[in-house]
Amino acid sequence: MESASVPTSGSAGATAGRAGVPSSGEKGLKKNAIGFVSSVVIGVASTAPGYSLAATLGFIAAAVALKSPAILLISFVPMFLVATGYYYMNKADPDCGTSFSWVTKAMGPQLGWITGWTIVVADVIVMANLAQIAGLYTFLLFGWDSAAASTVAVTAVGVLWIVLMTAIVLIGIELSARTQVGLLAAEIITLAIFAVVALVKVYAGSAPAASVHPSLSWLNPFSLSASEISAGMLLAVFIYWGWDTTATVNEETENPDEAPGRATVVSTLILLGIYLIVAVAAQAYAGVSDLVANQEDVLSSLGTDVFGSPLDKILIIAVLSSAAASTQTTILPTARTTLSMARAHAMPKSLGKVHPRFLTPHVSTVAMGAASVIWYVSLTLISEDILFDSLAALGLMISFYIGLTGFACAIYYRRELLRSVKNFFFVGLGPLLGGVILFYLLIKNAIELSDPANSESGNSWLGVGPPLLIAAFFLVLGVVLMVIQWKALPSFFRRRPEVAPTGFLEGEAQPETGGLAKPGGKS
Amino acid sequence: MGQIVVGYDGSDCSRAALEAAVELAKGLGDKVVLVFGYAPPGIWGGEIAEHEEAIEEFGEKVMGEAKRLAESGNIEAEYEMVAKRGPEAVAETADERGARMIVVGSYGEAPLKGAILGSTPYKLLHISPCPVLVVPASG
Repeated sequence: MESASVPTSGSAGATAGRAGVPSSGEKGLKKNAIGFVSSVVIGVASTAPGYSLAATLGFIAAAVALKSPAILLISFVPMFLVATGYYYMNKADPDCGTSFSWVTKAMGPQLGWITGWTIVVADVIVMANLAQIAGLYTFLLFGWDSAAASTVAVTAVGVLWIVLMTAIVLIGIELSARTQVGLLAAEIITLAIFAVVALVKVYAGSAPAASVHPSLSWLNPFSLSASEISAGMLLAVFIYWGWDTTATVNEETENPDEAPGRATVVSTLILLGIYLIVAVAAQAYAGVSDLVANQEDVLSSLGTDVFGSPLDKILIIAVLSSAAASTQTTILPTARTTLSMARAHAMPKSLGKVHPRFLTPHVSTVAMGAASVIWYVSLTLISEDILFDSLAALGLMISFYIGLTGFACAIYYRRELLRSVKNFFFVGLGPLLGGVILFYLLIKNAIELSDPANSESGNSWLGVGPPLLIAAFFLVLGVVLMVIQWKALPSFFRRRPEVAPTGFLEGEAQPETGGLAKPGGKS
Repeated sequence: MGQIVVGYDGSDCSRAALEAAVELAKGLGDKVVLVFGYAPPGIWGGEIAEHEEAIEEFGEKVMGEAKRLAESGNIEAEYEMVAKRGPEAVAETADERGARMIVVGSYGEAPLKGAILGSTPYKLLHISPCPVLVVPASG
């Protein structure tokens, strides 16, 4: 059928060129390029600042006392260094990949598989913690304190929360950037107001007796001991988790010569700013011992003190909306990662299916929701303290896979590193150093956590602290599952590591294969 | 030759819509244009490109089947994959082609369920540039 014979009634405005509409089979798509504001928002929202602070500030204070702002500051360094690696790996595998793709590409399928597995496990574990905070804050929002104190009630609402978030991803609701801008703005403004009011009260003398005036020494990391730094950073790594994805967002810029990392820089400043000011304000207002005493839900107890009722509810809403946002930033990307693994024959094929109506990776999504519920309920059955121990385990896992990604970048681009000073520092040394720092954290903490006394619960499981055992358990489980998959479907595991051809970053050469999942497929 | 645009996603109700459209096309001597609308995965990271490819593979598969189904009824058929949400994809294709009409299926869901899960016919009725025929799955 010739387009010329198409009747033009009702489409008088269509230009001649428009008549040749994309025909079947043509992929008229869409780089995921987005505007500056959206890029910034993704960077900040992906870290869920309100929830991250609520979940970790008390534990960091327990680890390093008044030095938590210093820890927040230096913890950013390895994340930033590895993020430059994300940026360059995304160039090799455009249109957003994840550590799974990149580590497989650079270091081979076995490490790549374990990386993908770690992403999945970290997601399952963080869902349990999110659910816990969400359950607790839901009751606090309505002032139902007796329910908030009941493990059964909080767990029940937490499970509902996981089910709801899984359903949202399943039916394919993706918040638009504009919606997210509104939510995030409300969250940031609430946290900022909280910090300012708390600080004003500290200086006006109307804060509790335990309050302390802020001091610049809080920001100085050099007075910390090595084990304080490593324990504090392990928790703080979690606080920045998610920010690294900013580097993979393809930012739309009006001027192509403009540095593409502008949104990354701005989201970084916002994030660092809000973390530092809230940490300083919280500990100035309440003192360390109060933060430690309320470590499971620092912001709710502080909010009541600082704002009084009913204004304290806005802080609770901010944390809840922050936790809700991680539906988009945690479940959704992870479901896509398992989908990708399945399509690369690295996981069972059914995980690679998309739902016929919603077009979402529904098998992956439901599998992860179910795993999260099982994990959450069994942990709370054992003890609520263990749930908080799993945060430290999470730190170990995040350090592991983000660290590996840093190594992957330096390895993949090894032929490029000596071609310019910029390449050497940003593509090689930076990501490598970030990876080394994270692996140092991993090893140092693993050693410390082998002594049960250093864990949050103080429990001893098989003679070691629960966080280490949790991490080790999932590592071993991962290796076992990998071997099973290897035997069942060996094709993925026969892949050879690739290396970026010399001159790739200068645009002089192209990698031999396109996307990771299907070498030779469309790029 | 007129064109009849059919929203198609492989579901039972879209198959019912296709059958109705084929019957109409036979009588009118029209061509059937099948449209698969899918919003490209958004901004929230993970392996977006892989997700997109999985959707496209699925789409190519069901659309190929549908095209053959239509052609077995001795009418001309083609399909388009449009990277937009269902209603917009169908309405815009109909507009571009100056289609005679649009045919879509309805899942026959209760209004509230349709509102939560998203109802293509409902949205389409408001934005369509031409008459819309809605065919229930059981029909």
